[in-house]
Amino acid sequence: MLRYTPGQTLAHRLDPRSKLAFQFGFAIAAVTVIRPEWTLLMFGLGVLSLWAAGLSVHVALREYWIVLATLAIVPVIAGITLSFPFFDLDSAIGSAQAISRVVPVLLVSAAFVYSTPVRDTRAAIQQTVPGKVGQLLGVAVSLTVRFIPLVRRDVLQVREAIRARGGDVRSVADRAGRITVLSAARALSRSERLSLALQARCFAWNPTLPRLRLRFADYVVLLCALALTLSPLAIRLLS
Amino acid sequence: MITVDNLVYEYDESASDPALDGISLTIDDGEWVIIAGANGSGKTTLVRHFNALLTPDEGDVRIDGTSAVDNPVHARTQVGMVFQSPEDQFVAATVGADVAFGPENLGLSHEEIDRRVETALAAVNLADRTDDRIESLSGGEQSRVAIAGALAMEPAHLVLDEPFTGLDWSARQSVLDHLKTLHEDGTSIILVTHDIRDVFSHAERVIGLDNGTIAIEGNPSAVSNSLERINVRVPETARNE
Repeated sequence: MLRYTPGQTLAHRLDPRSKLAFQFGFAIAAVTVIRPEWTLLMFGLGVLSLWAAGLSVHVALREYWIVLATLAIVPVIAGITLSFPFFDLDSAIGSAQAISRVVPVLLVSAAFVYSTPVRDTRAAIQQTVPGKVGQLLGVAVSLTVRFIPLVRRDVLQVREAIRARGGDVRSVADRAGRITVLSAARALSRSERLSLALQARCFAWNPTLPRLRLRFADYVVLLCALALTLSPLAIRLLS
Repeated sequence: MITVDNLVYEYDESASDPALDGISLTIDDGEWVIIAGANGSGKTTLVRHFNALLTPDEGDVRIDGTSAVDNPVHARTQVGMVFQSPEDQFVAATVGADVAFGPENLGLSHEEIDRRVETALAAVNLADRTDDRIESLSGGEQSRVAIAGALAMEPAHLVLDEPFTGLDWSARQSVLDHLKTLHEDGTSIILVTHDIRDVFSHAERVIGLDNGTIAIEGNPSAVSNSLERINVRVPETARNE
């Protein structure tokens, strides 16, 4: 599963606030400008982000395979019509083009997750979004990032336990039902234990957050973020 | 000093017996105490009151004279808790981030947090593993990270709930060696277990629980023959004495 991995790459050294700003600007630029050559440029930038984080394109795409597979189905569904010829190619192509603009955003987010510790993300959110909203958002993000891999591991364990006792011969509905019920029970139990651990270690809504410091490279990234945010407007004005 | 006075606690009011039924005890600073008993005897329930994770139905728990219920933050900074399964204690992905979690919650300065993380990790011989992902560590190393997480709060008392479960002999020895060092440095060690063979020779006092009450209390050699009565395994050598 995609997660933070310690390293010394350019992306690892960047301040999480500049990385968040870059993601924001990138998402706006990638999704709002509808031009094939622009989408290609966004792909290039996405791949560059992965390179800066030391993460291969292959690994990033593999981690997102469920998302990508789901996205790949959308154009097919979009092309289906109820009357002859039962498939509208233009609708499918339009949908595929829209989806192709999402993929570079996924690549940049993969670079962010891979190169940013959770507590730095929390710090960046709490320092960017003021007040209780920022605190709530920061805690929600950090807990979600911590909790999801554990729940995923529980689901895998339940699946293995079913397989280990010959459960493969049972129907898909039976197995799915068991996995859902057992995984939900484990998730609840795990959330209770996590809550206990947080209490035992004096959980605070507003703890001392890690030091964040903008360096030269961060200012360059922030400028790129600003340029990307304004790019749709600039393109419209120029054309 | 931890003082427990007539502690009563029940998880479920419909249960026939409370989980803890009138427990009174005192644990001095710097003492090494084993809290022993069979499964369901109330060991974990008892120590969770030390850390204010549970609130007594009756009675009182005081840490250095301060009520754990009235001041849970004081209780949690003075009594470090290491859970039975280290995985349950981890709230961050990397070693350094997890150990820093407690001090950050206390609102300490960055310099103080860094110092505490360094000291705690050095105490468990993991000073060079700060950036490692916790899941990449062995079971023994994960136990030591859990201990470091508790130590970073700089507690006067360290409670360890079944710390040797699932560890092989060398990992148990490694954890035990670090506990000995901490004890020599003045931290009181409160060890919860149903199998006291590893720690028997280090403890100064054994408190044996049975059905939520203190059934046995005394120094290890004096109570060794009685412990099997409450389903606690003791070393062969101790039994023959």
